[in-house]
Amino acid sequence: MGRLVLRRLSATVPVLFLVTAGVFLLLHLTPGDPIDVMMAESVDATVKETLRRELGLDRPIHVQYAAWMGRLLQGDLGRSIRNGEPVIENVSRRLRPSLELAFFAMTISLLVAFPVGIVSAIRRNTAIDRAGATFALFGICMPNFLLALLLIFFFGVTLRWLPISGYTDPLEEPWNGVRSLALPAITLGLALAAVVTRTLRSSLLEALTEDYVRTARAKGLSEWRVIWGHVLKNALIPVVTVLGLQLGTLIGGAVITEYVFALPGVGRLVVDAVFARDYPLVQGVVLLIAVGFIVSNLVVDVLYGWIDPRIRSR
Amino acid sequence: MLRRAARARLAPFGAAVVVLASLVALAAPLVAPYDPLAQDLGATLAPPGRGHLLGTDNVGRDVLSRVIWGTRVSLLAGLVSVVLAVFAGSALGLVAGYCGGRVDGVVMRVMDAVLSFPPLVLALALGAVLGAGLTGVLLALGVVYTPTFARLMRGQVLSIAARDYVDAARALGAPAWRIAARHVVPNAINPIIVQASLSVAFAILAEASLSFLGLGIQPPQASWGSMINAGRGYLQQAPWIVFGPGAALFVTVVALNFVGDAVRDALDPRTRE
Repeated sequence: MGRLVLRRLSATVPVLFLVTAGVFLLLHLTPGDPIDVMMAESVDATVKETLRRELGLDRPIHVQYAAWMGRLLQGDLGRSIRNGEPVIENVSRRLRPSLELAFFAMTISLLVAFPVGIVSAIRRNTAIDRAGATFALFGICMPNFLLALLLIFFFGVTLRWLPISGYTDPLEEPWNGVRSLALPAITLGLALAAVVTRTLRSSLLEALTEDYVRTARAKGLSEWRVIWGHVLKNALIPVVTVLGLQLGTLIGGAVITEYVFALPGVGRLVVDAVFARDYPLVQGVVLLIAVGFIVSNLVVDVLYGWIDPRIRSR
Repeated sequence: MLRRAARARLAPFGAAVVVLASLVALAAPLVAPYDPLAQDLGATLAPPGRGHLLGTDNVGRDVLSRVIWGTRVSLLAGLVSVVLAVFAGSALGLVAGYCGGRVDGVVMRVMDAVLSFPPLVLALALGAVLGAGLTGVLLALGVVYTPTFARLMRGQVLSIAARDYVDAARALGAPAWRIAARHVVPNAINPIIVQASLSVAFAILAEASLSFLGLGIQPPQASWGSMINAGRGYLQQAPWIVFGPGAALFVTVVALNFVGDAVRDALDPRTRE
C-alpha cells in the first residue's frame, strides 16, 4: 500500500511542474499586452506601469517564471488586482459553500443512484429498468445550466417552494441553509447520479453472473441477501473509478451551478475573475483547482488499491 | 437484447435529427422566418403563437429564427473543436508512440498536465485569455479534447507497431513515415472515429456552457447558450426564451449520443455481443 502511494506521488511531481508552467504561461497567451487587456484605456499610464512592474512583466520571461515559482513555493499565489487581497484569502473565503455544495450533491447522487441502479439490475429488462435507463440518458445529456433553470422554473418560480438564488450557511442556520443549497445540489447531483446509475447497473449485472452468486443462491439465500452480502461489494470498484473520472466534470458543473444560483463559491470566483480580467486571480484559482483535482485523483487511485488488493501489487 | 433492439430503433432517430439539424444549420438564412437580429419593440415577450412559433424575446426578436441561427454555431463548434483535437491529438500520439523514449515521455506528461485541469475550468481560462469570441472557444475546446486522442493514438501505435506486418514493412526498407501512413494509421483509426463521434456531443454541450457564461460568440449574434443566459431573467414572464434553445440543445445532444453509440457498436468489436 505504501509503495502504491509513493509511486503515485512520484508520477505526480512532473505533472504538477508542467501544470504550474501552464498556468504561468496563461497570462502570456493574451493577444496583445495583458495590462492593457486587464485595465480600461482610461486608467492612468503610471498606474499601469506600477502594475507592470509589480507583476514583473517588464523582465525577461524566464526571470519572471523563476520569481513566480519562488513565491509559489513559499505559498504566495499573488494578489487579486481588483481587491488587492492575496489569492489564498479570496479562495479560502469561498471554499465553504463549494464544499457544502459538493457534499450535498454527492449525497443526493448516491441516494438516487444506488436504489435505481440496484433495482434496474435485479429487474433487468422490465419497465423499471427502462425507466432507469431513460433517467440516466436524461441526466447525461441534460446541460447543467438548463436543468438548473428548469428546477428554478418549477420549484422556485411556479411553486415557490425553494429559494432560487443566494446562500445561507447551513452550519449557522441549518434549515434555511439546506433550503438555499437544495436546488443547486439537485442540479449538480442528478448528472452524477445518472452516470453512477449506469455504471452500477452494468457492474452489478456482470457480478451477478459470477460463480459465487450461484453458490449463494444455491444455499438458499434470498435475492436481497445475495445482492447485499456478495454482489454489491464486488460491483463497487467500477463505481469508484467512475466517481474519480467524473470529478473533473463535477468541478465544471459546480462552476456553472454556482454561477446560476449566485452561490459565493470557488467556481463563481473563477467566472467573476475571468470576466473582471483579474488574471493573477484567474491564475491562482485555476492553479488551486488543478492541484485540488490532482490530489483528489490521487486519493481515488489509492482508494482503488484499498478496495481491490489485486491492484496494489501491480 | 432489449437494449440492442432499443438502440437499433434509436440510432435512425438520432441520425435523422442530426441530418435535420445540419440541413437547418446550412440553410439557416432560407428557413429562418425572421431576421435573427431584427428587433420588434411592439411585440416583445410575445408567447408562442401564429406569428412567432416559439415566441419573441425581450426586444421582440423571433426566438425560432435565433434558435435556427444558433444551430450553426453549435454544430460548427462541436465539429471544428473535435476535428482540431483529432488532428492534434493523433499527430502527437503518433509521434509519441513511434519515437518512444524521451519524446514519448515529454509529450505524454504534457498531455497528463492538460488532463489535470477540470475540462470546463481549463476551457474557461483559455477562452478568457484567447479573447471572448468563437475562435477562442474553438481553440480552447480543441486543446481540452486533444489528450484523449493523443492517448488513444499512442496506445494504438504501440500495439500495432509490434505486429508482424509492420516488421515486414520495416525489413523491406520502408521509411518511417510510409509505415505510419500506410500501416499504422489505417489500422488505428477505428477507436479514434468512435471517440470523435462521442466527443461531438460533449463539445456542443461545452460550447453551450461557455457561451452561457458569456464566452464564445458575442451578442447580439445568437447561440443557444447565450440565448438561454439572456432569457434567464424572464423565466417567469417568458419561459419560452429559455426553453426554445434549451429544447434544441437537449434534443441535439441526445441524438448525437444515439449516433455515437451506434458508431461504437458498429466499429468496436468489444461492444458486440
